[in-house]
Amino acid sequence: MIVFENVSKFYDHNTVLKNITFHIDKGEMAFITGPSGAGKSTLLKLMYMAELPDEGEIIIDNLHLSSLNMPQIPLLRRTIGVVFQDFKLINNLTVFDNVALALHIRRLPEREVRSLTSEALKKVSLRHLAGSYPKSLSGGEQQRVAIARAIVGGPVVLLADEPTGNLDPNTSLDIITLFRGLNEQGTTILIATHNRELLRNTDKRTLKLEGGSLAREEMG
Amino acid sequence: MASSYSVKSALKSLAKEKWINILSILTVGSSLLIITLAVFFLYNLGLITNHLPERFSMMAYLKDSLSQEETQAIMDSIKKRPEVAKVSYISKEDALVELKQTLRDSSHLLEGLDENPLTPSIELKLRKEFVTPSTTSRIAEELRKIPGIDTIYYGERIAEAIHLLKQSVQNISIIIFLTISLGVVFVTYSTVKILFYRKKEEIEILKLLGATSGFIRAPFLIEGGIIGLLGGILGIVGAFVFYFAVTYRLSMVIPMLKTLVFPVGVLVALPFIGIILGVIGSTIAIGRIRL
Repeated sequence: MIVFENVSKFYDHNTVLKNITFHIDKGEMAFITGPSGAGKSTLLKLMYMAELPDEGEIIIDNLHLSSLNMPQIPLLRRTIGVVFQDFKLINNLTVFDNVALALHIRRLPEREVRSLTSEALKKVSLRHLAGSYPKSLSGGEQQRVAIARAIVGGPVVLLADEPTGNLDPNTSLDIITLFRGLNEQGTTILIATHNRELLRNTDKRTLKLEGGSLAREEMG
Repeated sequence: MASSYSVKSALKSLAKEKWINILSILTVGSSLLIITLAVFFLYNLGLITNHLPERFSMMAYLKDSLSQEETQAIMDSIKKRPEVAKVSYISKEDALVELKQTLRDSSHLLEGLDENPLTPSIELKLRKEFVTPSTTSRIAEELRKIPGIDTIYYGERIAEAIHLLKQSVQNISIIIFLTISLGVVFVTYSTVKILFYRKKEEIEILKLLGATSGFIRAPFLIEGGIIGLLGGILGIVGAFVFYFAVTYRLSMVIPMLKTLVFPVGVLVALPFIGIILGVIGSTIAIGRIRL
């Protein structure tokens, strides 16, 4: 489902990622870990083409990213659901509209947009806050809105960048439980995190990044 | 095609950023009103200048010795020319009567004349489209070659003046239209550019969620189009106020104003012109979207 073959990324002669090679299978859930600045976020950005690699090849859901042209980029992004580290919610839209936006982009009919959005909000237990604005929500609630928006379009791959970054341990656990549930339903999930607590009791594969290189792989 | 979502987004943005949008609509409205007033004046000036060629005529003075048949033959040959609309013969007697009428107050000038000193002539009226300096001088040149014609008189300067006036009216119309259209494009450009910058963060999010450049662009184009449309409607209102003020109120004082014609077609076109200019302005403002 996700293939990295000798991928490198440089910023002004600084190596951010060097010769990264790994495979994530369809329906797998895995973690990428490593200290801040190890290149975790960059690695995720390469997958949804917010950044482009300087070397190597990335394949997602059989799409060779290097051969995609500009009009095909939106199609790739629609097959991937991303939970951004800073949530990236639009403050002047309600929770409902923030989630629905991902479907409007796909030009789905209004009726379908409404029912799918309600369903996604139900999955993250936020239906009661559908009419609220992001700024009035707690960090954990905003995180769940971001997750609802990432899953509402039924992505084949879900990427999450530090999804428990600023959350208390209980809320973190809720979020991870939510991801496990989605994974059990068949979504391939890759989570970037430096939260050791999250990895302690996991049975999932963990890829460790250090100084831009893949240091080791651990099976949970 | 723009989805209902894009239209809703545009309307929401219009309401949210109402002050900047109202200002743009007012500016576009007054600009389009200026175009309308310019068209109004130039159209009426055009009507006057269009009638000028009808008054233009050429005089071919004939030799005194021509027989009736010879005169008729010359008239027939002139009539055949495609540029000629009307030919009339003025006998030397008729010419004298006309001269006497013209000199009514100075009739002493003609005292002591035993003989009629005038020559018969042919008056030519040209078709409107041939009253240009080059055509009139060519026709005069060719007429001079006809045996029996003594001299040709026509107002070269008048032909030139008519032509120049018509050309100027046309050029001024084009310049005014282009300048003000450019102004309208600039107004919508600036407004949409500001709105685009204010929504920069939102646009980045849309891109990451998989929006196409068309999806991102549509609400801004619709917003620019609506600004143009409302500006156009405002222009129509302004033009009606002007029309009633001038032809209704002022014509009571200056009756000549009653003859002014208002080109209604321009009013109907205003909202469409507004939309087109608004969309052009916003298209330039957004530019190329890199995903």
